[in-house]
Amino acid sequence: MSSPADVPARSTHDHDSASAARGGATAGALTGVRLVAARELRALFASAVAPVFLIAGLVLLNSLYMNEFFLAGRLDMTPLFDALGVLAALLVPAITMRLWAEERRRRTFELWMTLPLAPWQVVVGKYLAALALFALFLVGTLPVVAMLVSLGEPDLGVIAASYVGALCLGSLLASAGLFLSSLCRDQITAYLLAVLAGALFLATGHPRVALVVDGMAPDLAVGRVLADSFSSLPRYEAFLRGRVEPASLVHFVGWTVAFLAANASAVRRLRP
Amino acid sequence: MSAARIRVANVTRRYGDHLAVDGVSFEVEAGEIVGFLGPNGAGKSTVLRMLSTYLPPTSGALEVAGHDVEREPLAVRRAMGCLTEHNALFDGMRVRAFLDFVGGVHGLRGARLAERRAWVVDRTELAPVMKKRISECSKGFRQRVGLAAALIHDPSVLLLDEPTHGLDPLQVVAFRDFVRELSPGRAILFSSHILAEVAEIATRLLVIQGGRIRLDAPIAELEARAAQQGGTLESIVLDAARETTAGAAS
Repeated sequence: MSSPADVPARSTHDHDSASAARGGATAGALTGVRLVAARELRALFASAVAPVFLIAGLVLLNSLYMNEFFLAGRLDMTPLFDALGVLAALLVPAITMRLWAEERRRRTFELWMTLPLAPWQVVVGKYLAALALFALFLVGTLPVVAMLVSLGEPDLGVIAASYVGALCLGSLLASAGLFLSSLCRDQITAYLLAVLAGALFLATGHPRVALVVDGMAPDLAVGRVLADSFSSLPRYEAFLRGRVEPASLVHFVGWTVAFLAANASAVRRLRP
Repeated sequence: MSAARIRVANVTRRYGDHLAVDGVSFEVEAGEIVGFLGPNGAGKSTVLRMLSTYLPPTSGALEVAGHDVEREPLAVRRAMGCLTEHNALFDGMRVRAFLDFVGGVHGLRGARLAERRAWVVDRTELAPVMKKRISECSKGFRQRVGLAAALIHDPSVLLLDEPTHGLDPLQVVAFRDFVRELSPGRAILFSSHILAEVAEIATRLLVIQGGRIRLDAPIAELEARAAQQGGTLESIVLDAARETTAGAAS
């Protein structure tokens, strides 16, 4: 640290007094969210998480699709989005698992909690970073659309609706994974819990699973109730058929908001 | 609203059954440098963490720059700069990006951000590591990055937990000069478990032991008392701690 003589006098304390009196300057609510999101996205790329997620995920997804494409010979992206549902349930938790668990392990949670940001700003910023990475992953599938367009006339409306559905599913999985990460100190536990949550949201909508659950208690028809009112799979599949239904949007947006709100509440309670 | 920049009133903090801070009260005015002295586990960091809004108190009231720590945590965080005990930083970020991020969340933009960044970088001599990732910095540089982040928004209150930890002797001397320079108009509370260090920098001494304040007096007054009794500052501090401990026991 340099000696006082070689430095101009520090900024006047009038500024400090005025600043303290009015609570000081701070980033606006949305600016705060944007700064957190940008920081988190850079952190995902600075670690191996983002490159591995993008490269491995896209290679796997496109390989699965191209295999199906050559077998079926149809200008249809439904097989890609079918595989994407399962892949997202496995890969999105890999993005979110570290977002809080790592902060707690490295003790940077205390740093977050002493910056002039409300817990919801940090939560939403982290969620947007995860969602942005997932959106980037979806951008990586656009060459398939270009290929189909160059080969014929695929139904672009269905394809567009499928992308909306995929983004909705990614949003739900990202918010759920982020919330579960805030409950864990260990990334692996956070990952496994998030995969389990994703599996519940998707598997409960599968007819076979619904039948098995219904078989356990036929009078209650729990499997059917779960598929109709809880599962994301039927709603996601509606997008894949080209139907952007308000009820489906409410389902995905509702769960996302609920997980984000629960996350902000959990972060407040994480203080020792 | 109190005139004091830092106000701690009858604050208690429990961790389960353990009473870490027991009825602590003190105030720090603008222009004061208060050294918070005590052995490890005495309750220094707990008090600083409560002031920084990280830890909620079990009972009592804390104010920073006139804002209640529990009711107005964001206003408190805007008014204070804080160097935490473990100085945990975002290791993957480059130093410059980290300072810009912290400045940004404090509302600094454009020319003002550049001006404040240049000032803290100059004062903490961070120029050689600005392009490095924080994880690549030495312990001393990390400490300076933490200090620079605490100062970037020109706060009126500074909370420094073991600020010289990791600094070499020359850097410690420079740090003392720097803190004295920062003092006018600011309330500075810093913790240490080394009396000589506190005596060099602070204008007032707070001694905490077993979660209670054992001594609260200006350094000059303590030195005068030591000279009068033919003792040392150390003996005065130890006597005060023993007397209050014995008093509490009886």
